[in-house]
Amino acid sequence: MTAMPAKPGLLQQISGLPQRGHMSWFEIILLAICVAWVAFGIAPTFQDVVVLSFLFAGLALAWNIAGGCAGLISFGHAAFFGIGAYTSTILFLNYNVTPWIGIFVGAVAAAVAGAVLSLICARLKGPFFILSSLAFAEVARIIALNWSSVTGGAEGLSIPPVPDLANMVLGSKTAYEALTLVYLLAAYAMTRWLEASRFGFYLFAIRDNDEAAAAAGINPLMVRSAAMALSAALTGMGGTLFAQYFLYLDPTYVISPELSFQFALLPAVGGLGTAVGPILGSFLITPLSELLRANLGNAAAGLHLVIYSAGLIVVMLYFPSGIAGALEKLKPRRPQR
Amino acid sequence: MTALLEVQNVSRTFGATRAVDNVSFAVQPGELLGLIGPNGAGKSTLFNLIAGVMPPSGGQIILDGTKVTGRKSYKMARAGVARTFQIPKPYRQLSVIENVMISAFLRERSVTAARDLADVTLSDLGLAPYRDRPASELTVGLLKRLEVARALAMQPKLVLFDEIMAGLTPTEVGAMTEIVASLPARGITVIWVEHVLYAIMKTATRMVVINRGSVIAEGTPAEVARDPLVVKAYLGEEMQLA
Repeated sequence: MTAMPAKPGLLQQISGLPQRGHMSWFEIILLAICVAWVAFGIAPTFQDVVVLSFLFAGLALAWNIAGGCAGLISFGHAAFFGIGAYTSTILFLNYNVTPWIGIFVGAVAAAVAGAVLSLICARLKGPFFILSSLAFAEVARIIALNWSSVTGGAEGLSIPPVPDLANMVLGSKTAYEALTLVYLLAAYAMTRWLEASRFGFYLFAIRDNDEAAAAAGINPLMVRSAAMALSAALTGMGGTLFAQYFLYLDPTYVISPELSFQFALLPAVGGLGTAVGPILGSFLITPLSELLRANLGNAAAGLHLVIYSAGLIVVMLYFPSGIAGALEKLKPRRPQR
Repeated sequence: MTALLEVQNVSRTFGATRAVDNVSFAVQPGELLGLIGPNGAGKSTLFNLIAGVMPPSGGQIILDGTKVTGRKSYKMARAGVARTFQIPKPYRQLSVIENVMISAFLRERSVTAARDLADVTLSDLGLAPYRDRPASELTVGLLKRLEVARALAMQPKLVLFDEIMAGLTPTEVGAMTEIVASLPARGITVIWVEHVLYAIMKTATRMVVINRGSVIAEGTPAEVARDPLVVKAYLGEEMQLA
């Protein structure tokens, strides 16, 4: 046993990242604020931003399972997002299957796609894996664009805007806030469970050194495929929620490289491989990009993107391990328990 | 008595180079076999063949009477073969205890049991004071000990040590030698590649010497130390064993 620092101070407790699988006070407070925000209907004019922040926090957590925990940096997660969105929407429009079921069918479809991607790319590492994931999403986008009998092609698909809880078309933005918050909390709970489990340790092992992991009896290919499938399933569920919120889908946005980059960027800004990092990343970046777009989008085309990108460069330069990583440096390491 | 491990006429070529050339030897349960030879003799390649990192170009490897030639490394690990890496390969972003827990999961399915086993292993190797440090902060000597800890936490039948003494202080070498010497009594058979000769020569029950991919001598430490071929190829001068 190492000498423990005498009683961690309050600042350290608040700022600190928890041990694996355990919540810190900081996270409990953060998530409690989210719940209160929705329950008391705070800031009704910003509800769009709140819905998107919650949704993208969940998506960032989903990406983080593959990219942060297992080291499978993917720039193709928009494919899984699109598969989830299209599966539930097509099931609903053509076969009258409620999206409450469709969301899980979409998750399974996305998981299969994720497992297939990691089996195909079994031997590819680092930049080669990144490039093939990007190509994979492009293939998915082109299929969605051209298979217009099913996907509606470039025209996209529209869900009739008739509020009906049974069809996951909600009547108020507050209800969407609640729905996306449940998604965020589920992704968070999944991450927390994962990192304290044997399987989670296997993910960290193949991320840090897959040769050593194999020597310890871990089958790297199986673990990679499982991690990718889990991450893809959660991303697909986010796709369904997106479709049910905007009630419109087209391949150019839903399976775009920009969206894939966004999924990767939020955890990178917030802190890769941590449970709170992706949430912080989304809460910082999503409102920022929405506000910049709303306020500067008309003044000078592209100006909001310039400011946005400059901000990102600053974060990457000064906080290479993300916001969560910067916070962790403030506190001493606590023992694994 | 059946051998725990039989290496039969094993070869491995890389292009035109025969890194391992028709090597045969057997290891009995409870043995502590020393494997020595000059740099580039093929010792690490031989380890990689036994551990399943790469398949041999020819020959057979038999573990416990079962043919395991060309089996992948995770399957060899599950069959009871643990190994250390000459250049340590820690999980850099994890703490020392977490590094060892990942190995402990091979036989202990629950997190609590794996943590307990890892804690015991860390104490055995004197790594307990570093338990919660990130592996990236360890010195080379500590990383070598971490390699041994990870191998032993797998509770193997056979362990392959690849130069675990390099970079250790004489005191540390003494402590590590004691640990290695205690393994056969715990039911763990050892094959040990080492350049720190005074440690291996006084601990090993039998030695195999290889040079340029081939076995050039086999016998007790005293026998191989006197062998003229070994003296010429590796030792340079006759070694005086205490």
